[in-house]
Formats: sequence, C-alpha cells, structure tokens
Amino acid sequence: MIRIALPTGELRAETAALLERAGVGIGGYAGGSRALRFEALGGTGVARVFREKDIPVQVAMGNYDVGICGLAWVEELAQRFPAHGVARLAELGFGASGLWLAAGGDSCAPSVRIASEYANIADALARKMRLRRYRIFPVWGAAEAYPPEDADVALVDAVDEDAVCAHGLRPLARVLATSAWLIANRGSMASKDLSPLLSRLLGSAPAAAHSSTLAVPEALPLRVRETAARRNVIRLALPDGHQLPHAVAALDAAGLALDGYSGDALVRRPRIDCPGIEVKVIRPQDMPQQVAVGNFDLAVTGRDRLFDHKVQFPSSPVEEAADLGRAPYGLAAIVKDVPADSIAEALAYWRRDDGARTVRLASELPNIADHFARERHLGRYSVIPIAGASEGFVPEDADILIEGMETGSSVRANKLTVLERFFESTNCLIASTQRPGGRLGETMDAFIAKMRAGAREAVAAGGGA
Amino acid sequence: MRDVLPEEMERLRFIEDAFRRTCTRWGYREVRTPVIEPLHLFTAAGTLSPRTLDGVYSFLDWDGWSGERVVLRPDSTIPAARLYAESLGGTRTAKLYYTQNVFRFAADDAPREQWQCGVELIGDTGRGGDVELVLMALDTLREVGLKQLNVRLSHAGIVRAILAAAGLSAAEQSLAYDRLLDGDLGVVDEVEARLPQLNATLRLLFEVDGAGSGYLANVGAALTPAIPALREPLEELAFVVGALEACGVAPVIQTVLTRSFEYYSGLVMKIDAGGRRAAIGGRYDGLVGLIGQRDVPASGFALYLDQLIEVVEAPSLLAPVVAVEPEEQTPECVALAFDAADRMRRAGLRVDTTAGAVMQRRLRCRTTSPRYTLRSAAGKRTFEAIEDVMRALGSAR
Repeated sequence: MIRIALPTGELRAETAALLERAGVGIGGYAGGSRALRFEALGGTGVARVFREKDIPVQVAMGNYDVGICGLAWVEELAQRFPAHGVARLAELGFGASGLWLAAGGDSCAPSVRIASEYANIADALARKMRLRRYRIFPVWGAAEAYPPEDADVALVDAVDEDAVCAHGLRPLARVLATSAWLIANRGSMASKDLSPLLSRLLGSAPAAAHSSTLAVPEALPLRVRETAARRNVIRLALPDGHQLPHAVAALDAAGLALDGYSGDALVRRPRIDCPGIEVKVIRPQDMPQQVAVGNFDLAVTGRDRLFDHKVQFPSSPVEEAADLGRAPYGLAAIVKDVPADSIAEALAYWRRDDGARTVRLASELPNIADHFARERHLGRYSVIPIAGASEGFVPEDADILIEGMETGSSVRANKLTVLERFFESTNCLIASTQRPGGRLGETMDAFIAKMRAGAREAVAAGGGA
Repeated sequence: MRDVLPEEMERLRFIEDAFRRTCTRWGYREVRTPVIEPLHLFTAAGTLSPRTLDGVYSFLDWDGWSGERVVLRPDSTIPAARLYAESLGGTRTAKLYYTQNVFRFAADDAPREQWQCGVELIGDTGRGGDVELVLMALDTLREVGLKQLNVRLSHAGIVRAILAAAGLSAAEQSLAYDRLLDGDLGVVDEVEARLPQLNATLRLLFEVDGAGSGYLANVGAALTPAIPALREPLEELAFVVGALEACGVAPVIQTVLTRSFEYYSGLVMKIDAGGRRAAIGGRYDGLVGLIGQRDVPASGFALYLDQLIEVVEAPSLLAPVVAVEPEEQTPECVALAFDAADRMRRAGLRVDTTAGAVMQRRLRCRTTSPRYTLRSAAGKRTFEAIEDVMRALGSAR
C-alpha cells in the first residue's frame, strides 16, 4: 500500500492536474470533494489530503511514503530538524513563489524582531546572518501586516518583488525560490517499491531546476535604532478569518463602528471611531503573544487561544478583560473507531497488547493538547501540532484529536466519537496586565467598559451567541 | 547519549580532583555558571560559527512569549566571560576554573553532553599568561599520571594575516580556514595566486610541522617581508615557545590547529595524550569586550573529560571493604552488627551492612560468645570485643 499526502489549498488544482496527466488521477481529489481520504492506484494506494504545512511532517514521521507540497514547508522542517527523514525528489513545475525578507522601514530594534509563518527558517537566517540579538514571532499568518510597528522584518511568501511591495513592504532579499515539490520518506525510498507512483509522476512533471537551498544575505541592511519610539495610542488587534463576523458583531453591540473591517472590505489597518485607539487586523491565534510582548494593548480573540498561550507561558502578562459571549464552542478529545466511552477505556484499548504504547494527540492547539495529556495522566504520549484538516487525522495518523466543536454536526458527519468535552470557549477581549498610566490607561479602560457593556446588552437581548 | 558507569565515575572524579588541586595550587578559584542561558549571549558574542549555533539546544522558556529563546549552554568560556563582566567588576585580573557540561547536537547516538574542566585567565597578563596556561594544563595531566603528552601550538593571527593579505573577506577567511583544517591544501595555492609579492611558498607553513623556535625564525625570515602582519603573531608565538623550551617542554608548531577560527585571537594550544584530545585552549582577547563594556584580554583552556577517562587509570582510592552481618535475626544481634559497622566506618573502612555484597572480608556478629567471627582470605578468627576486631582489621590494612 503506497500512502500519498496531497495538499489542499492553492496547490490542489495543479496537483490534481499532474496526477491526471500521470494517469494516477484521484477522482474525488480532483473534483474538490470535502472527503480527506481517497483510494488511489487502483486500490494499491491511499491518498490523504492535508494542509500543505503538515505534509513534510507526516512524510518525515513515516505516516506517508510520498507527498506533494511547497518547498518552503520542507525547508521549514529541515531547518529545525536537519536529521529528518524527508528526501526531496523533484520540483514539479508549478506553484512557483519565493520567500522574501522584507522590512517596513530602514531601521530595526537592537533586538531585531522578525515575524513569520516560517519561524524555523527565520531563526536559521538570523543565525547565519549573525544577528547579535533577535526575537522571532512565529505567526499563523498575515506576517506582512507586522512591520513596521510590530516587527522590523517579516519573512513572507510572495511571487516577486512587486508582490512584496504591494504589502507596503520593502523587499530586502529573496532567500528561497519555492514551488511544488515531490518528497518522499527516506525509509520508504530505501525499502519500499514506490516505482508504480514515482515513474508516472516523474515522467509527467516538467524538468525544472531551481536552487532548493537558502540564499542567506550577508547582513540586514537596517540601521539599529537606539531608542524605542513612545506610543501615544492604545493599540487594538482584531481577528480576520472565521472570527471576524463575531468581532464585528461585538464591536457593533458596543456602539463602535469601523471603516475597512468587514467580510466584504477588509484592510489590515481599519479605522475605528474611537479617539486614541489604533487598530490592526491579524490572526486570532497570534494575539496573546502580541499582547504579551507589548505590541498591542488589547485584542479580540478566542478564549481557547488565550488558554493555549497561558498553558505554555503561565506568567505571561496577558489576561481576559471581557467575555464577549460570541462564537461559542467547546474543546473536546475526539477519537474514531475506538470502542470506548472515556479516556481511561480508550487507553486500556490502545494498550491492550503493549502497555508502553505511545498515544498520539493531534491538535491545532498543541499546548492545550500537551496540558490535556498531562492532566489525564496519559503516560507515554506525543503531540502532533497540525495546521488544519484535522478530522482526517484519526485513527490512522493520530489516536486523539484535541479539537474545537460547536454543534457536533461535523463530528457526526465524520463518524467521530467525543470522549470528553473539557473546555468552553467564546470570543473575548484580552488585555495586557501592564496597563499604561495616564490618558492612555483611561482610553484603555473606557474601551474595555464599552465592550463589556455591549456584551451584557447583547446577552440581555438574547443575541450573544 | 550515554551513562557514566561506576568505574568511569571513579576515573572522572580522580581527574576532577587532580584538576581542582592543580587549580588551587596555581591560585585559581572555582565558579559555576547556569546550564540554561539566553541564546543572545552566544549570538552576541559573535564567536560561535553559525554551524555551531545550528547545533545548540534552544527552546522557549516559561517567559518565552517575548520571542527570545534560551539554550542549554553550548560553551563554557562565553558564560565565564559574562560572569566576569557582570559580577567581578570586569576590571581586575580573574583566575577562574570550573567543571561543567556543555550541550551540542550530535548525530545518531553520539553524546550530546560533554564534560569539561575549564580554566579562564582574564586580565592583562601578557604573554606570560599564555605560558602559564600551557604549563598548568601539563601540570594537571601529569598529576593524573599521563606521561606521553604532545603539545602543539599555533597562533590565530598567522592564518588571519595571510588570508587578509590575500584580500579575503571575514566570511571567506572562515571558509578558507575550514578547508585548511580539512586538509584541503588547494586553498594554499589559491591564496598564493593572490599574493604575487611572496618569494617563498606558503606550503612551508602548512606542510611542515615546526619543532620550535628555529622553525619560527625560518618562517619569519621567509614570509614577513611579503606579509609584514605576520611579524607580531610570530613574535608572540616565539616568546611562548622560547619560554616553554626553557621549562623543558618541546612544543610542535602547527599553523592550523583547531576549529573555532573566530573564537581565538592569539596563541592556540592543543595537548594530546595517548592519542586522545586532552586539552584545547588559547587566547580570546575580543570576547569579554563583545559581552561586557570594555575589552579585557583573556585566555583559557579546557580538559576534555570524556576523552581523558579513556586514557587515565585511576588508582583504587577506596578503603578495603568489609561486610558485617548479624548471625541471628534478632533486634539485639542486628543492633550489634550496626554498632560494629559504625565503629569500622568511623575508622575509615568501607562497610556494607546489606546482604549480597561481594566483600573482601566478612564479619558475623552474634549475641552469644564468641561475639564476632571474621572471615577473610587468611582464614577465620573469633573475637569477644569489637576493639579486638578493629585491631585485627587495622593490622590487615
């Protein structure tokens, strides 16, 4: 059985076309089916759909023999784990892009702040450029929104210089030419006959020969700022993505209007009709850290994200300031095809033949998954951080999924079993515990009060959830 | 990763004890630095190559929301320089020593943790400081019984002067140095091609291991007219070699000696014992200034315990062993046995009071006469009083 990891997202259509040309077409995958697992190679193979970021990890772990994903994610794994088990087989001739170092201005803090989805590559670049002191902000997305206020440099994915400039950034250097690559698990390559797939795929991919190694600039062309600029506004982070409509509703209930913050018209720096407050839109996952480091004073995110952050950094100076009561959902431990109604029964089932078997937990909230495993005394366990398409991980690639659930319809549709629902989340306003003094502090307090009042009124009117 | 077994621990402690005694005799004082340090201490020092930094164990601390990482210390000299700059005023001469572990990634099952006995001499000690460190390392190694010690010396300024004269940038110098260290003498020809003013071949430096002052004089005569910047490092090296020769040490001169091109600024030493790397050290005058507020000359060396325990034979330092057992399992008899064992331990004997130990002598105690029976290779003897047992054990020792 040949196991293939295929990408969802931007590379999906061209990957499906390549598979079609190679004569290994997977109907459901090409047709955009929402299913995550397909039969392949006439029953001698199985294909599983992942977020691109997860593919090198799954191939390195040996859960899949072969994968297709962007080179940047392979490099991201390689920079942190050079001894990983991924072999780069061939560039596939589509999905061409690049990783760029880009700045928002011409200066940087003495400890250079670098924001990126590719935190390991950013860290490696900082070491190789011999930055004397630096900080990495690993973000889930929107790294281009960080400079100049919240980072000195962003490492971003962009097709060319113009695309970098379109974000309002100054391109400093292209550090990696990326595109879709065919990768394989080294162990599978060494011992398993993958030729039925490889010969067809490699025969159908156009010859391409871009460099697949990092091009490290000799230095960052940025002047070091001696003193940090003093802020004279309160900075508020608002979420994009599925949290956006809930944040809009909460702000609306508080009587606050924004220009450039809606599903139809979204800009990274919307304007709010609240003097003394400056707004930026970033991913909700990144907000607790951004408030903790002092880039923002306030942020609207999910309580689960705050919990995940505080589990990792218990003394982090960020706290919940107001429960906004919207976007309710629970975090649950979810399994599939396990004859158990509790964690204890599931453990007994998994370890019925091997008492030392490792229990694998997959989650987009790896710190909470780790906390859950410790609290429930799972014994020997491993946490697999994942980027999405989570319901397809159990039971093949993980034993337990630590996952958010709303009504349970997705759980039922995927024939999953909830063993325990252990945390309830809604959206909330989080704040720095280091409240500024004077006028800024008053502005911050007044904003929190408005948001609390809006949430109370919405609950009273029955519209909170 | 590996465990250290009891026999290895005995050798390890033997070396550490000898090192500590030597350091005390030479007027050095012990320090210890934290296992966990901020990553920026090592990046700011700028003396660890990116390749070395790639292999450090870095992670987010409990306050890692700041985005800054911490590391398991990959090196002991940089923390010692920090300690000097932060806590010892950073002005007067400091003579410090430590026994610490350092952590660096190694492939497969190779140990990620290495133990070192390190010495740092920080302050303006002049060329005499370099001589002191070589002699002190030799003193320690002789103290643990090692006799065949090969001392090799170099000076970081020699290669630097040549590569700079050839117009190589700092990064190119580092790369060229690594090639030299890997035995790629092609780089010598490439450098020579950039130095038309040379009237002698550079291979003189890289193909010949010099035997002492005479060799250095030859090198100076051949190369300093074309590369004047060689004069200072050669003179410094000649001073140390001359002093060591006068002390009865015959060092070998080797132009390329150790990795860490960017670490050292002056004399570099390496001592091998029994085919193993026993000690490496040298001068790092720029380091304290990179970490603290002002430049302070400094030098040091480290003994590699993991290597030394393979070649050092620790004498049996442990006292003879006695097993003491009650003849009858009654409270009175057990108490008598523990009382006898206590008397022996206070007299410096190693005594085992639990069953099953393999011991040289075995004393059985009982509440009726005769109270004590002592068995050994010499036979069986009985005693009424513990004082008689102690006398018998004393004469046996």
